[in-house]
Amino acid sequence: MKKSHFVEPKPKAIDPSKWVALVGNPNCGKTAIFNLLTGLNQKVSNYPGITVEKKVGKVYTQEKTFFNLLDLPGTYSLSAESFDEQIVSDQVVSWAKGEDPPSVIVSVVDASNLSRNLYLTTQLLDLDIPVIVALNMMDRLEDVSHIDIKKLERELGVSAVIPISAKMNWGLDDLKKAIQKPIKTREQVDHQSQWIKQELSHQFKSLIDSKFLSSKFAAAQALRRISRNGSINGEDTKIESIRNSISELGYYIETLEATLRYEWIDGIMPLVQPKIKPKIHKETRSERWDQILTHSWMGPGIFMVILYFIFQSIFTWAAVPMDWIQAGIDNISIFVLSNLAPGMLRDILVEGIIGGVGAIVIFLPQILILSFFLTVLEDTGYMARVAFMLDKSMTKMGLHGKSILPLMSGYACAIPGIMSARTIDSWKERLVTILILPLMSCSARLPVYTLLISAFIPPITVGGYFNLQGLTLVVMYFLGTVTALILAKIFSRFIKEKSSSSFVMELPPYRVPIARSVIRQVFIRGKLFMVNAGKIIMAISIVLWFLASFPKVDASVTDVNPIHHSYAGKIGHAMEPVIRPLGFDWKIGIGLLTSFAAREVMVSTLATIYNVEDRGDETVNLREAMQNDVDEKTGKPVYTPLIALALMVFYVFAAQCMATFAIVRQETNSWKWPIFMITYLTILAYTCAFIVYRGGLFLGFS
Amino acid sequence: MTIIDLTPGEVGTINGIKGDRHLQNRLVELGLLPGTEVRLVKCTPFNGPVEIKVRDSYLSIRRDDAKLVELK
Ligand SMILES: Nc1nc2c(ncn2[C@@H]2O[C@H](COP(=O)(O)OP(=O)(O)O)[C@@H](O)[C@H]2O)c(=O)[nH]1
Repeated sequence: MKKSHFVEPKPKAIDPSKWVALVGNPNCGKTAIFNLLTGLNQKVSNYPGITVEKKVGKVYTQEKTFFNLLDLPGTYSLSAESFDEQIVSDQVVSWAKGEDPPSVIVSVVDASNLSRNLYLTTQLLDLDIPVIVALNMMDRLEDVSHIDIKKLERELGVSAVIPISAKMNWGLDDLKKAIQKPIKTREQVDHQSQWIKQELSHQFKSLIDSKFLSSKFAAAQALRRISRNGSINGEDTKIESIRNSISELGYYIETLEATLRYEWIDGIMPLVQPKIKPKIHKETRSERWDQILTHSWMGPGIFMVILYFIFQSIFTWAAVPMDWIQAGIDNISIFVLSNLAPGMLRDILVEGIIGGVGAIVIFLPQILILSFFLTVLEDTGYMARVAFMLDKSMTKMGLHGKSILPLMSGYACAIPGIMSARTIDSWKERLVTILILPLMSCSARLPVYTLLISAFIPPITVGGYFNLQGLTLVVMYFLGTVTALILAKIFSRFIKEKSSSSFVMELPPYRVPIARSVIRQVFIRGKLFMVNAGKIIMAISIVLWFLASFPKVDASVTDVNPIHHSYAGKIGHAMEPVIRPLGFDWKIGIGLLTSFAAREVMVSTLATIYNVEDRGDETVNLREAMQNDVDEKTGKPVYTPLIALALMVFYVFAAQCMATFAIVRQETNSWKWPIFMITYLTILAYTCAFIVYRGGLFLGFS
Repeated sequence: MTIIDLTPGEVGTINGIKGDRHLQNRLVELGLLPGTEVRLVKCTPFNGPVEIKVRDSYLSIRRDDAKLVELK
């Protein structure tokens, strides 16, 4: 379907069963609108090859029909500066070539920041796909009549402008109706190809890529490539002469596209907002809040207090629901034990599945609480301020102001953390952030720490105030974080820079988050954790139970526990020479192996092994089992506080979560970085655990 | 004169942007065109980024980048 240059395509009627794309600036309320339109009918998947969430939802209409809605990442423009924006521009370019284009584009525009938001809209208009402007945040205008909707519609030449407020939940029905109506593309204002045609038509024609269906888009795309000095089919001399003609006209080639579009937008603004005077001096409410919240010393102080509060609540608030879950799991295993006849099915259920999965479900409360806080901090606009305040210190460490959010998410789970590093526009700083992220102690390590601390660290008070158990936990988090920062500095010395780093970031106005949006976000996080972790852990628990239970040895023939002869026992014993120097025995060895699936599996692995070993009917209490475990030959305890400490230090550093490396592979698009990551983490873990164990022995601890 | 030479609260008018193509492009896309008014809102200590107001939005830009935005 090739079209020749400068031939306007015929108006197309839309088929409502086709799909609709949602595009807009960051923070314009796109997510809120998407959630309101689709409700729970949404599916989150990934774009092929990249781990960018692709959110598609079904929107039902009054006539009981539906259309599909695709949510794209927020972007300021189609000339990409960051990875996130690249996704949008790649998508739009493929639509322009006629590859499954949407039938309608909904361009979400923040009414309280009109001219800046319209910039992207004018770029979308080039596509000759019907565009509907969803004028969001109408509730934030002092007076709704400040924007002349009809005039805006006419000036832009869009199919419709629909004023809405995602917060107040009004206008969304109108938006749905507008999307369903078959829309003709209007006579559209030509923002720049008109200009190009007049000024440069002869030279320009040969640079037009005929793959694009719309001549306006083709012209804009050619312009973008000229200003990047990219050669189009090796026509360097032509580009050179065009660049010269442009500067002769008094324009600056680097910023030509933006200049032309803004000249046009600034031209229509007085018509569209006749009553609004420029108000650059006006101090907004957000600005007054910022006098405290980003104050040069109060600001960081407040952030510290918030951080402290979040971590405090993760440990204290979560304790209650965690007890409930534990009680529930215990009840389920008792129920199964008393209702099923003894046999393999019952064993596999109680020892394998309930024991293994139960050990994980228990973290759900902590994951939910952490995601809740992170979502609220992000949605209020506070996170951007933190990035603003800490940018200088982060740059000193080789990181970026925007590294803060990924690193904080890393305390919940490295995977969303690594993915959120996408917003960092500089490749080098993004890479360094990704590389050190596994050192932020994620919630999957918490069960390992909790188990070992409660079993082996005495609950005594030290230094008058501190509980030794709590202190140990804090030290583990601290150890990971400090090492991460030191390594960031070192890595940034050695990684070659691919792009220059800039830090232009919008500080959105403070807003009260929309409760429904926050709840949905937290729910989605929890669901992902349960489904992903659940699947892996269920499978591993079953495989492990099998490995630990077979081959069956007749207990009367030998006096050693049959688990030693099982497959798992053999694997663990084979590992012993390597891990013995760290004080670890074969059971931990198996745990280290299964931890490759996910760290928290360590706990369920030990639970499964002890359950199988115990040969009794009840599920064993793992903590007591470990405390009472004695070496069958020497009669000495297998685990000591020193070994527990070495093991915890090992877990602070060790490369164990396969999912993390899979994500790193996808995000860096190479095998080099995940392999580097596994190598450095393993060396670090082994060395540090060795130093702790051997050093401890040397100093006379046990 | 550049943005950095303003005192917090003071308004200036943009004349042009120097620096590399990426930064120029980004800033112009965010609305920092010649002739547009800009207000310096806040500086952070130790030569950290500065906050500016352009059109209806607040932006954080690094001090070195702010030095490239020339005012009339
Ligand atoms: N006052 C107001 N706030 C809104 C509206 N729509 C969204 N918000 C808020 O704006 C912020 C950004 O919204 P979000 O949907 O996350 O924007 P996105 O970045 O474009 O996906 C959130 O705090 C929302 O609660 C609206 O119509 N009015």
